[in-house]
Amino acid sequence: MVWRTLSIESVEDLCKMFTPLTFVGDEAALIQALRAGHPGAAAVFYDQHAAHVYRALRSTLGADEDVPDLLQEVFIRALDRIGKLRDTERVRSWLTTIAIFVAREQIRLRTRRSWLRMFSPERTQPGHLHQPSSEARLALREVYDVLDQMPVDERMAFIFRFVDGMTLPDAAETCETSLATFKRRLARAEKRFLEAARRRPTLAHLLEEGTRWNVQTQS
Amino acid sequence: MERPDAKLAELGAAVHEALAAETSASAEIRLARAGFLQQVAARNAAAANWPRRAPARGWRFLLLAGATAAGAIALWTWTRLPVTFQVGASGSRGQPGDLISAMGTTPTPLRFSEGSSLVLAGGGRLRVLATDPKGARVLVEDGTVDVSIAPARVGKKQWDFEAGPFSVLVTGTKFKLSYRALDQSFGIAMREGRVVVSGACLDGPTPVAAGAQLDLSCLAKPAPPVRMADLSPETPAQRGSAELAAPSGRPSRDASMWRDLLATGRLQEGLRAAERANFTRVCQTATAKELLALADAARLFGSTARAVTALRVLRQRFPSSAEASIAAFTLGRIAFEQKHAYAEAVGWFATYLREQPSGPLMGDSVGRLMEARLRAGDQTGSRTDAEQYLRRFPEGPYASEARGILSK
Repeated sequence: MVWRTLSIESVEDLCKMFTPLTFVGDEAALIQALRAGHPGAAAVFYDQHAAHVYRALRSTLGADEDVPDLLQEVFIRALDRIGKLRDTERVRSWLTTIAIFVAREQIRLRTRRSWLRMFSPERTQPGHLHQPSSEARLALREVYDVLDQMPVDERMAFIFRFVDGMTLPDAAETCETSLATFKRRLARAEKRFLEAARRRPTLAHLLEEGTRWNVQTQS
Repeated sequence: MERPDAKLAELGAAVHEALAAETSASAEIRLARAGFLQQVAARNAAAANWPRRAPARGWRFLLLAGATAAGAIALWTWTRLPVTFQVGASGSRGQPGDLISAMGTTPTPLRFSEGSSLVLAGGGRLRVLATDPKGARVLVEDGTVDVSIAPARVGKKQWDFEAGPFSVLVTGTKFKLSYRALDQSFGIAMREGRVVVSGACLDGPTPVAAGAQLDLSCLAKPAPPVRMADLSPETPAQRGSAELAAPSGRPSRDASMWRDLLATGRLQEGLRAAERANFTRVCQTATAKELLALADAARLFGSTARAVTALRVLRQRFPSSAEASIAAFTLGRIAFEQKHAYAEAVGWFATYLREQPSGPLMGDSVGRLMEARLRAGDQTGSRTDAEQYLRRFPEGPYASEARGILSK
């Protein structure tokens, strides 16, 4: 086995040099280890849940160049609050809740930035407006452009129900609201989305003709 | 007509699928991981530091008394803080428990807050397992470390070094410590001061003073009686001792010369001498360590068949030994790299993991097993191995291959 010669010039090189001590144990033991400051527990915690949290952020936000930073933020907040986690068997849903809050803050930040765009567009150019490279990417852009115009609570309701495919009770719980309130938010979101889709030919076409996209990997 | 919410559900599912198909996810997750762990390390380091005290206020006398008291408390606390350490030329903050690897041939320095220093030679691996106000406990997993322990300013020092089955208690010295995981060979050369070495195969704690050197391995056991009939039709009649002379009864120069040549690192000459002395017979008399050396020599100098013979004899003569597991791993490498027999390689790497689930070659075995299964056409098995590998070694040398397998 040959190790490559690297000089420490980047965070990635730093993490190649340091391999955290491996933690072995179940979820409950991992939580205990995090609380006790076990040197390897943070890395294991991240590796076990990062993909899920990433998906939650990505589906809530759409394309956003800040997603890696937000992913870090979710896990840092989780470490800060690990002592308050009561039910160690619901770690994943607990992390999802934190991710939703972080995403919500990001959406509000983007809304404020959109106001600034009117005064200084060259400084506040959104980082997520890339030319779509496939039909699937085009549809993603269309959907999230509409969602970006919605109030954040209605956006969340729409994403949890239709993109993430949650049941109504699960989605309401994730939003930390009652089922009745969630249903009202969802109804408003559906109405807004369908009205917006009528004004966007591409989106209207996708809704009417079905979504038989050829999902291609991003080049 | 289809209900609007059914159409929205279909649209949403397609969006979900498009998001899942994005290949940038793993790169972004990996990027965030590096940042997250760096933040964790920084927070842990900050938590270990003495909190700043507010400056004393009030009358000058009270101010002076307060400053003096603060200084005394700070000094008392400083002497009780665990030592901290920095790694590499850039002085990055080290964390207890992290694996520190010296890449390639470049040595890696470690500097400790109380003045001690280690230099890990290129290719080596160690962990600072724990620190306390008196020193640190260091695990040398493989390689050579130059150690310089600073004299204690306050109280006594205590440093412990562990290397395989050996431990070294240090109270303030300079020495070079080497450990090779492959054959569990240990060496210590003292420059200043004195250490005490303990190990499973030592009669008791062994002091080593300045100017002295100690080299040993706990694996040099006498070979069990040889069962000639099991090995080859050419084997002579059964003998009572594993340390045999040539079958004619007259010892030849080559029968003992190969040992000396191997022991002094002259592998090619040792291999040739072993061949002249009848390679199969040599394998029947060699120790486990010597069989590994013969196999290395044979692999290095182009004789795969000889290497396989030595390794198979080792596994037969010394079953359940650490060298037998190393032999399984090496047979896996030969099967993969030289014979391109991937199914066979899978069997050998799996054997190593079964025999040494926490052995020093475990990470390498999981990574190679993953690749061998892939080449042998076992997609499902290779994906399972890739997941296991990334769980334990997210930054290991096979991590990118594992992610490639999982992304398909």
